[in-house]
Amino acid sequence: MRARILNNKLLLTVILAGLAVLPVVTESKFLLSMLISVFILAVYAMSYDLLLGYTGIVSFGHAIFFGTGAYSVGILLSKTKEPNLLIVALLLGVAIAVLMGILIGAVSLRVKDVYFSMITLALAELFFIVSEKWSSLTGGNDGITSIPVPAIFRDRIAFYYMALLFLVVMYLFLRRVVASPLGRTLQAIRENEHRVESLGYDVVKYKIVSLVISGMVASLAGGMWAVFQRYINTSVLSLDRTIDALLMTIVGGTGTLVGAIFGAGVVTFAHEWLSSLSTIHPIFERWLLFFGLVYIAIVMFFPKGIIGTIRDRWMKK
Amino acid sequence: MSLILNLLLNGVALGMLIFLIAVGLSLIFGLMGVLNFAHGAIFIWGAYIGWTVYGATGSFILALLAGTIGGVVLGWVIERLFIRPFYGNHVAQILLTLGLMIVMSEGLKIIWGPNILGFDKPELLQGVVTILDHAFPIYRFFTIGVGLLVLLGVHLLLTRTKYGLIIRAGVQNPEMVQALGIDVKRAFTMVFAFGAGLAAFGGVMAGPSFGSVFPELGMQNQLAAFIVIVIGGIGNFAGAAIGSLLIGLLQTFMAYYVPDAAVAVNVALMALVLILKPEGIFGARR
Repeated sequence: MRARILNNKLLLTVILAGLAVLPVVTESKFLLSMLISVFILAVYAMSYDLLLGYTGIVSFGHAIFFGTGAYSVGILLSKTKEPNLLIVALLLGVAIAVLMGILIGAVSLRVKDVYFSMITLALAELFFIVSEKWSSLTGGNDGITSIPVPAIFRDRIAFYYMALLFLVVMYLFLRRVVASPLGRTLQAIRENEHRVESLGYDVVKYKIVSLVISGMVASLAGGMWAVFQRYINTSVLSLDRTIDALLMTIVGGTGTLVGAIFGAGVVTFAHEWLSSLSTIHPIFERWLLFFGLVYIAIVMFFPKGIIGTIRDRWMKK
Repeated sequence: MSLILNLLLNGVALGMLIFLIAVGLSLIFGLMGVLNFAHGAIFIWGAYIGWTVYGATGSFILALLAGTIGGVVLGWVIERLFIRPFYGNHVAQILLTLGLMIVMSEGLKIIWGPNILGFDKPELLQGVVTILDHAFPIYRFFTIGVGLLVLLGVHLLLTRTKYGLIIRAGVQNPEMVQALGIDVKRAFTMVFAFGAGLAAFGGVMAGPSFGSVFPELGMQNQLAAFIVIVIGGIGNFAGAAIGSLLIGLLQTFMAYYVPDAAVAVNVALMALVLILKPEGIFGARR
């Protein structure tokens, strides 16, 4: 057991070191950009994993948090034309996420898990439509273009390191959360909600806390996304955005933060690769079909995802 | 006056379409606890199958039939292959049906393309009827009439037949029904296929009603059906019917008077019901 953890840490350090020297050895703008989006989306996927993998609740409204983070940055920076307000915008996004988490949780976490899924979907749809209609604020379908960002974020290599740092910090933070007594309670809720309740825990309260933390992290990821793209539109609030998080989490393995990171990488690269195949055959424009099939197979046959399954194999040896 | 009557008629007709998709979802959810995220996809597959058959044969009746059969087959396959191994595991069921939704909606776009397809009303049902100097589209009456027939049919099925008894008892207490030696699994498959058939039937009906079909229509209607279930209460037939009418009317009136708030008001109503009565207006506390 101890050897396994040691192994893991070693492996992670090696990968991290590899990623850290990458910009030195490659000039490929494409690869760096791709990795930046993987880093940011990995944080988003990890935040989803806190809900799905650690607390055992299925939300279809995760894009709400990602989107509010992205729009906080997009709206504040482009309206004020003051790129140095970035920190304020990110904090604003986090504050809104906390508020949203409490509100959504209070309304919907009192009912059965299946209801929660339905309600988050409806709320997400509501947010999506509001963002489309309220175009004076959000730019509607056209979105917000050329968001002014601090100069340092315009340098691709500097941004690469910033995004990597962001991922590492968020990983360490979330690992701290899941290893804490709070995280253990969440995992107990996942395993047996009634038992935790009969032990005297206020399950709803813990679930709301989980939703709030997850929402805060997702909001930060959304904010970083807006900085990275310097352009956002309503797609940051769409159901597809939530499904992204879900696919990444499931593919990598629920209940393992590393799995979410890995899943983000696999999904992003596969997306890019499969859609590039559309020059060979137009069917690859519908790359999500292949991913849907892989996803179904994983849920049915490898419920622990790629990383979870690998870990299990290691454990047995 | 004419306007109000027209809106009422539209609202009831829309409510009937939502009912067709909500009732199957509600029975499946109530009986097996499966939240079927692929239900909207079945609805839209029904619509597209209907569109194809209607285009090929020119017969709307055949289109309805083909769409419904397509839905039943899809439901049957989905239940046997994907749902059955995961009874009791809600999270896996939600995740699986979500995957099916993705695959089915992408598959739809591969076969029929992602664009809007026009779906004309059958010739007999085009035009308007004039009642007391007010003109009303015939297809609305047709939708309402068919909806009422289905409502009555499902009601009779649930209250007058042995299968209805099993289903109602199953919604109340599946373990007890199983213990009495009734093959609940078989009932599950049948209800799933039946619900899917109704949804697909609703899809074909909805095509001419909206005048066109497009892939996103499935999710939109599924969302309305979800809201209906939350409002009406789990597995509650009357709740699904009344909730559908409520949402249909609300949506139609809002779409006319405050178009920007049409969807918001549904979600707001749902939130209100949840806060006041989490088990739904007609749901029993459990």
